[in-house]
Amino acid sequence: MVLEVKELSKQYSKVLAANKVSFSIEEGEIFALIGPNGAGKTTTIRMISTLIKPTGGDAIVAGFSAVNEPARVRENITYLPDEAGAYKNMTGNDYLNFMAGIFTTDLDKAREYVKRAQEICGLGERLEDKIGSYSRGMIRKLLLARAVMTRPKLAILDEPTSGLDVINAIEIRKLIKRLASEEKMSFLLSSHNMLEIEFVSDKVGIISKGKLHVVGKPCELKAKYGCDNLEEVFEKVVNSDEVSDIA
Amino acid sequence: MKFLTLLKKELKELLNFQTILTMVMMLVVLSILGEFMGGAMEESADSQAGTVAICDDDKTEFTADLINQIELSGYTIEMKENTSEDKAQLLDDADTDYLIIIPQGFTQSILEEKKTVDIEYISRVNNASVMSAVDSMDSASAVAIIQDAIFTTVMTGQYGIAIDELEFISMPVGVDEYTVVKDKSANASSAQIQSHMMSQSMLIPIVVFVLVIMASQMIINAVATEKLDKTLETLLSAPVSRFSVLGAKMTAAAIVALLNALVYMIGFGNYMKSITDMQGDLAAGTQATESVIEQLGLNMGMTDYILVGLQLFVSILISLSVSLILGALVSDAKETQTMILPITVLTMIPYMMSLFIDINTVEPAILRYVAWAIPFTHTFTAISNISFGNMGIYWAGFAYQIVFLAVCMFFAVKLFTSDKIFTISLNLGQKKKFKKNTK
Ligand SMILES: Nc1ncnc2c1ncn2[C@@H]1O[C@H](COP(=O)(O)OP(=O)(O)O)[C@@H](O)[C@H]1O
Ligand SMILES: [Mg+2]
Repeated sequence: MVLEVKELSKQYSKVLAANKVSFSIEEGEIFALIGPNGAGKTTTIRMISTLIKPTGGDAIVAGFSAVNEPARVRENITYLPDEAGAYKNMTGNDYLNFMAGIFTTDLDKAREYVKRAQEICGLGERLEDKIGSYSRGMIRKLLLARAVMTRPKLAILDEPTSGLDVINAIEIRKLIKRLASEEKMSFLLSSHNMLEIEFVSDKVGIISKGKLHVVGKPCELKAKYGCDNLEEVFEKVVNSDEVSDIA
Repeated sequence: MKFLTLLKKELKELLNFQTILTMVMMLVVLSILGEFMGGAMEESADSQAGTVAICDDDKTEFTADLINQIELSGYTIEMKENTSEDKAQLLDDADTDYLIIIPQGFTQSILEEKKTVDIEYISRVNNASVMSAVDSMDSASAVAIIQDAIFTTVMTGQYGIAIDELEFISMPVGVDEYTVVKDKSANASSAQIQSHMMSQSMLIPIVVFVLVIMASQMIINAVATEKLDKTLETLLSAPVSRFSVLGAKMTAAAIVALLNALVYMIGFGNYMKSITDMQGDLAAGTQATESVIEQLGLNMGMTDYILVGLQLFVSILISLSVSLILGALVSDAKETQTMILPITVLTMIPYMMSLFIDINTVEPAILRYVAWAIPFTHTFTAISNISFGNMGIYWAGFAYQIVFLAVCMFFAVKLFTSDKIFTISLNLGQKKKFKKNTK
């Protein structure tokens, strides 16, 4: 098991952003947290990435506790924040070199990482240009390549396709799928777009108002609730849960 | 070394073409300004004993004698014609910026009726600069020139008094002026000393102001951009300690601050040198300003420059650590510009105060303590404190700044090493956003 999330909770001053969230990810698996804006996806992901401390529960990444051994966890993950940018004054290559230097002090390894990222991102000559001149899609590809260049045990991607046009979104989804099947990398994704996510993920977790309602393979969930797509599943699950909560 | 990788990146970001250009410009401007001020002072000194433009409407033997007498006392005379009633036209025709007109009946009034009479004095104001005011003669000196000439002409011509005797009568008392600073004294006029100190105190506050604001803006932008672009999140989720991320930022900022302080001190040194050289030239005859300043212990030695530089360095470090915190508070690109406001205000208050009052002695005392509580005050008063030997106040201010710096650093470290950095905000626009989301 690459990731085991155990009753992870985060209480902000007024909002309970994550309420005892539990799920797990196997090696080579693509797991997607799906839910509308404000559901608690980013909060959950940030706790697993060791950026913020949970108010309850824990996440075990490659055998290390996010609460007690955050430094060890960081050696095994990469994280791509949603709507992330990169240093505009650097060229694409500068950025890859800089980030490689952050992940390793071994120069040979760093060179290998950069080479891998250059191939994966598919930006070619444009890597010589300043990032300030890149389009959204190009930046996302660069950052995604950066996130997978070190072959982390778990790559955490927050809304990897949001804000992109269809072509770029498809390219990114294909890339994630290929890396998972060919290189046995594990992914934790999030998305508020419930329709597109079933093309890419092996397993999804439906989250709303901080609560993870149900986890399963998209086809199983659709069959179980008798729906055509995950959006309908979401509606059914969340509504029935809320009704039972009140009762 | 990951720290070096980070440091290199921070330095590259802070020392871009723009900031290097600013530093070079500062050096050049300071050096040129010194030459310029020196030049202007020399010029205005020249024009003092310079040309007098006179229009003689009376045209008597007496007025001719007068004009002759003015020339004898060292002025160059330019005779002009009274061509127009329109004063502006008159100055234009005469091609001068100031003109003395001796009216018709002038001789009659003075010699026969023994009645005071007005001369006419016209001068042009071209602009509002301080130096141009020094440039032109004013009516009082115009009157004085004419009066001196009348006195001499009448005394020697009508009363037959010998010239050397006349010199005694007109000026029976001379002055041997001494100026005291603390326990030292020098044979020089206080005006001379004050004009020297002025040329220092005019410049320093402006440069300190610019430096502090510039450095702060730089860091606020850098940190806010990292936060908004989420590159900070990326970095802090990578296998590198938060201490090295923050440490690299601080170190890079400190290096840039040190560079700035150094450039500023070199430029300022050049500026002061041109000015003292010039004052030395002007004061030929009396004791040269440079040696007077030295005698009074007001000169800036190497140690003094280092002390001022040190003070400046700590001030910039303070503004940088405050800026780290302010930058981290930004949660919206629009806020980035307003975040500098606290620093601007804290710099503006001591800046304005130092221009108009002596902060160390201002009454009521509460005003003094308020000023002293603002860390930047001590930088604005550093040169004055060092020059006038108020070392107690200097070191107390310095100690206060170090404590202030430590507190700011503590909070910056705390902010960056906890998850506050991602959850904190000033709730300016954020509150509404949260409410919308939770609905
Ligand atoms: N720093 C914060 N302080 C207080 N509340 C927050 C903070 N960040 C997020 N929240 C709240 O937590 C909830 C979950 O937010 P988030 O995890 O960003 O959702 P998602 O990523 O699914 O859109 C929202 O109600 C949001 O308003
Ligand atoms: Mg989110």
